[in-house]
Amino acid sequence: MCWTVAVLVALAAASLAAGADVGGPALDYALNCQGCHRADGAATPGSVPALAGSVGKFPRVPGGREYLVRVPGVAQAPLDDARTAAVLNWVLERFDHDDMPADFAPYTAAEVGRLRRSPLTDVERVRRELIEAITR
Amino acid sequence: MDRRHWIDRFVETAARQLAQRTSRRSFLTRLGSALVGSTLPLLPVARAADDARLPPPDDAALKGEVGDPKSCNYWRHCAIDGFLCACCGGSQSACPPGTEMSPVTWIGTCRHPGDGKDYIISYNDCCGQSLCLRCRCTRTEGEKPIYFTSKNNDLLWCFGTKSRAVNCSVAVVLGVATKS
Repeated sequence: MCWTVAVLVALAAASLAAGADVGGPALDYALNCQGCHRADGAATPGSVPALAGSVGKFPRVPGGREYLVRVPGVAQAPLDDARTAAVLNWVLERFDHDDMPADFAPYTAAEVGRLRRSPLTDVERVRRELIEAITR
Repeated sequence: MDRRHWIDRFVETAARQLAQRTSRRSFLTRLGSALVGSTLPLLPVARAADDARLPPPDDAALKGEVGDPKSCNYWRHCAIDGFLCACCGGSQSACPPGTEMSPVTWIGTCRHPGDGKDYIISYNDCCGQSLCLRCRCTRTEGEKPIYFTSKNNDLLWCFGTKSRAVNCSVAVVLGVATKS
């Protein structure tokens, strides 16, 4: 049994190491979003809201899909429209797949390019109204 | 006559033989060796370390300051701005005792001079004591102007911590960056 445990531990360590290479939307998330939103999308209370278990609810209410592109961190991200769309789709799938609308259509570069030209100027008010609509 | 099911008799025999050959203490010893000898982060060392996905590259083969965590020229410090925790009672990836690592941080990449790979580095501030004032280091690789706040290292990054007082900064390896 000891050796079974040792083998399992070794396999777990190997799988962690194998997951170490990061590229594509995951790398763009790590370098542009993760500093605040953390690797697991968890909240930092008082500073940063959670993505995990939360972000997928926004596209379910009117204005929510647009909100996710117009928030300053997304609209002003130093990424082009295609990579920003890819990161958004990755974030939704990764952190809140279960809450996404069944008919959700992935963001496209064209849609992101259009929406990010009008970033939100009163983020907290819009966010509060959307959360009220989600919980209604 | 033993009227028990054959499985019960078999298990009892096997258990007795195992008990005669080994002791609970030897089992615990070997289990402990297996766990401690592994590379899994089993202890709650730091929240940033929870995010780590691989053992960091070996610095032992690096010659000179690029392999010295107390040097500003240490390879992981390519975009750090602050006092190096390795000079302040901590290490390149651990805060000094009495301080708390900020979970909110800023992240960049540095190239390891040994293997040539670009590693994702998280620059976390350690918070809860006044400035360490030893090993000041400012490097700006990949840094953006202050209006890109999430990519600027002039800011103090003690968010989500009990105290906003900055002591020093660590450089934690999160993974290897591959091309998109």
